[in-house]
Amino acid sequence: MTITPTLELVGLRKSYGKFVAVDGVSLAVPPGTIFGLLGPNGAGKTTTIRMIMDIIAPDEGQVLFAGRPRRREDLERIGYLPEERGLYRRMTVVEQLAFLGELHGVAAAEAKRRAMAWLERLELADRAPRKVEELSKGQQQKVQIAGTLLHEPEVVILDEPFSGLDPINQGLFKDLLAEYKQQGRTILFSTHIMEQAEKLCDHIGLISKGRVVLDGELADIKRRLGGNAFRLTAAGDLERVRSVAGVEEVVLDPDAPDRARLFLAPDADGARVLAELVGFLAVRDFRNEEPELGEIFVKVVRDAA
Amino acid sequence: MPRRVSWKKTLIVAKREYTTRVKSKGYWIGTLILPLLMSALFIIPGLIFSRTTSELDLVVVDTTGGEIAQGLQQRLEARRTDEERHLASFEVTVEAPQADAEAQRAALDRRLLDEKIDAWMWIDDAGLADDEVEYRARSVSNTFSQEMLARDLSTVVRELRLTRAGYDPSQIGGLLEPVDLDTVRVSAKGSRKQAGEVGFFFAYGIFFLLYIVLMIWGQQVLQGVLEEKSSRVVEVIVSAVTPFELMMGKLLGIGAAALTQFGLWLACIVALTAPGLVASLVSLPEDVGLPSVSILQAFFLLVFFLLGFLVYSTMYAAVGAAFNNVQEAQQLSMIPTMSIISPMLFLFPVLNDSTGALAVVTSMVPIMAPILMPLRIAVEMPPLWQVLLSIAITAGFIWLMVGVCSRIYRVGILMYGKKPTIQELWRWVRYA
Repeated sequence: MTITPTLELVGLRKSYGKFVAVDGVSLAVPPGTIFGLLGPNGAGKTTTIRMIMDIIAPDEGQVLFAGRPRRREDLERIGYLPEERGLYRRMTVVEQLAFLGELHGVAAAEAKRRAMAWLERLELADRAPRKVEELSKGQQQKVQIAGTLLHEPEVVILDEPFSGLDPINQGLFKDLLAEYKQQGRTILFSTHIMEQAEKLCDHIGLISKGRVVLDGELADIKRRLGGNAFRLTAAGDLERVRSVAGVEEVVLDPDAPDRARLFLAPDADGARVLAELVGFLAVRDFRNEEPELGEIFVKVVRDAA
Repeated sequence: MPRRVSWKKTLIVAKREYTTRVKSKGYWIGTLILPLLMSALFIIPGLIFSRTTSELDLVVVDTTGGEIAQGLQQRLEARRTDEERHLASFEVTVEAPQADAEAQRAALDRRLLDEKIDAWMWIDDAGLADDEVEYRARSVSNTFSQEMLARDLSTVVRELRLTRAGYDPSQIGGLLEPVDLDTVRVSAKGSRKQAGEVGFFFAYGIFFLLYIVLMIWGQQVLQGVLEEKSSRVVEVIVSAVTPFELMMGKLLGIGAAALTQFGLWLACIVALTAPGLVASLVSLPEDVGLPSVSILQAFFLLVFFLLGFLVYSTMYAAVGAAFNNVQEAQQLSMIPTMSIISPMLFLFPVLNDSTGALAVVTSMVPIMAPILMPLRIAVEMPPLWQVLLSIAITAGFIWLMVGVCSRIYRVGILMYGKKPTIQELWRWVRYA
């Protein structure tokens, strides 16, 4: 059974002069998931998201929404929080939210009602008649989040949502996203911080230099690519571990000289490797462990190069 | 061009532009201050002028028999009660010529320097033969007073010459009467007298109003287009509305705010001048009408006023779309300013021959039509097809300009911090 992805990118390509920002990105975002668009700064995440939001037109490829080419009206069903954030400074908080709601197809009266409800929830009700410029930065961030979600979008697209947010708002935002996921909505967010993605996402797409280098279900990826990773704690010459047959990669822990992470070839047997190790090391601990997403990313990018 | 325009969203944008402006304090301060400033500009110099014009003490010495001096004295005395008295008035003393002319002249100069008198005039036959009379004063820059003096002196001398030539003094006044043109405008609805200059002032008034409104609001449009970029709200907005809808909504919303302000001013002017206007209408001779403007003509004038606002403000919008901040945009904002003035070059030729080829062609050029077509309509209603064609061309131009703006805007929004070159701008228009 195939599920129609909520959002599908087919061969998206965008170049600026000679610089290719996005080079044939194809990704599928299944419904009801939190999808992490990952990659270092400059990988093409923001350009990809802007193409989804019809802010820039792709040179090639297309964006599908619920299985058909995305139309302008579909954007009303998406809540978008760009990396470059801002609000109309001279507008009052409640009018601002109502305006953003109206722009996304919510009737004027309903938009105002929802704006007030959001402000109650964010404990900003007393700020409603104030101008945005009179609010603190943290308060403005809350208003921005409310503006993104006011029209109750089916899909939420967030570009580096946690950058610049204060810890309280980060927590608030995470709770909101969890709530949204529970309601069966789809969330796509980009980040360059792997730990964040690891904690929040079910699906990921890794982008490097404008290309997708890895995508799929997070658990599956870890199983597939991290199945043969081990954590080693031992005294002795850890550098020598590299020469052991079946060991593909050794990452020494810079903080603890007696620790390292080992990546074995897919067909290598952990027990046999351990048998060799005990020959020249005093092994205290050797266990199979899922790798961190960051490590996978580094490995995949290097393999792709 | 836009694939499809959602007017609903355009209106939501327009509504925001309108209400945030009309609700701001600055708007009302501006609305109140400008009329105050304008009236101050007209009233205060008038007040100062009327208070400060003191009488000039003028001594006249007439060596030709005294008739000229007496005539002049009478005329100038009579002036002291008429409406130009605050511009210039004279206290005339006629002094008899003395045997030693040089001594008398020296004495007069001394009195001048001692500020006993302000000016003196020496009338003699030698001077009159050359049509000249000597006038000496501490200040010779009060042109108003001097012109008035020269006019009255001429009249007196002319009358005297005619009398000496044997004309009956009672006829002379009639003989010297100047002639005015009695202008009658002939239109299809029958001829009607019209005060000649009214047509011109009417058209000039339209131009001036449009100019004032745009001087004030053009910058508002420019800044309005920059607002989303400078507050960085732009990405959220253009993901919800197309740049075309955003541009159109802004123009309409800001335009509506401008018209509201303009309407308030107009209402003020009407309320303040209505009593005077009615009085002057009543006192006008019956066959002299105001410019005869039919309802259709008035309708077209209004249409062109609106088109004019939109044409010129789209140019400000284009400038705003291309840049990231007001400082950068400032340099290019002279282009729309110049284009408002451009119809002035053709104002007089069109007024002189409002149906000629030049008038027809220039009133079809979008950046001039909003001023030249109303001018033609005011002078003489042109064929309807010409008016409609002009409206169509201008409206098409506005549509095109909004399209161009939105293309520039669409590409320009994401170029934070970099000032585009003209070549780049052109590429943006073709691209997108």
